[in-house]
Amino acid sequence: VSPQQFSALTEVLFHFLTEPKEVERFLTQLSDFATMNKISLGPLKNIVKSILLVPNGALKRNLSSEQVRADFIALGLSEEKASYFAEQWKVNSPTLTRLAVGQTLMINQLIDMEWKFGVTAGSSELEKVGSIFLQLKLVIKKGSQTENVYIELTLPQFYNFLHEMERVKTSLESFS
Amino acid sequence: QLVSALHSLTRHVVYRGLTRAEDILSLFPEDFHQNLKNLLTKIILENISAWRNEAQASQISLPRLVDMDWRVDIKTSSDSISRMAVPTCLLQLKIQEDVVLCGNSPVVSALTVELSKETLDTMLEGLGRIRDQLSAVASK
Repeated sequence: VSPQQFSALTEVLFHFLTEPKEVERFLTQLSDFATMNKISLGPLKNIVKSILLVPNGALKRNLSSEQVRADFIALGLSEEKASYFAEQWKVNSPTLTRLAVGQTLMINQLIDMEWKFGVTAGSSELEKVGSIFLQLKLVIKKGSQTENVYIELTLPQFYNFLHEMERVKTSLESFS
Repeated sequence: QLVSALHSLTRHVVYRGLTRAEDILSLFPEDFHQNLKNLLTKIILENISAWRNEAQASQISLPRLVDMDWRVDIKTSSDSISRMAVPTCLLQLKIQEDVVLCGNSPVVSALTVELSKETLDTMLEGLGRIRDQLSAVASK
């Protein structure tokens, strides 16, 4: 495989790694590459599969680009190509790391919040009430489904909630 | 019969929100015993705000927040990446189902929700807007 072909292939690979949802695009690009360079698609796919293992393993073990380069050379790639790949890795690793962190397990993740507030005008026990209520709708992701939770808060509860959330924010900020 | 009459009287006072002695006194029939009338009025007036608060607390409503707790964790590793330091927040909300439906044994459920820093920031933005809207309404 010539250097230009290799760099084109690497580009395709990293495109896929940074946008793992674009599977269709990746496959199309791969077959274009195969026809352009007169390589048959089957073996190309196998090679690509083994190449992809390296960045994934590197992510898991937080390897530096030096180590990625060493890995590739150990696998039998020429020094020039290994260095090129390692460079690309360094450039792309923040995006890839962020993606990996984003995939980390989250329990009952809060996705969305809606609210409304109003005044209770009257009830069956009290003819005129006039108290303010706040209703929150929290959308929570449970596994692969979303669940809606509806809660009502009084004003003092709301202010307490706001105060607590501000404390959480300060705490989170001191850790990042 | 006496108890039920008293019950109707107090319910009526609470419902109408009567706060003045004259209003309550006027509810009694003409020939009612004077001292008893005054005594009853006095007792009702003393209890009225407690009764109103209780009536309000037991209104039908959506599930109500009764308590909340939070904790901040730092995620240090996962199956997709072996070393990281990502802070995350766990929020536990204790929610009581509709009081009217529960009767004497309230059902309280605990919901634990996880928030990332971005979600928390967005939530705080939303809460801030609620606060601004509330003060706009209050100052009218």
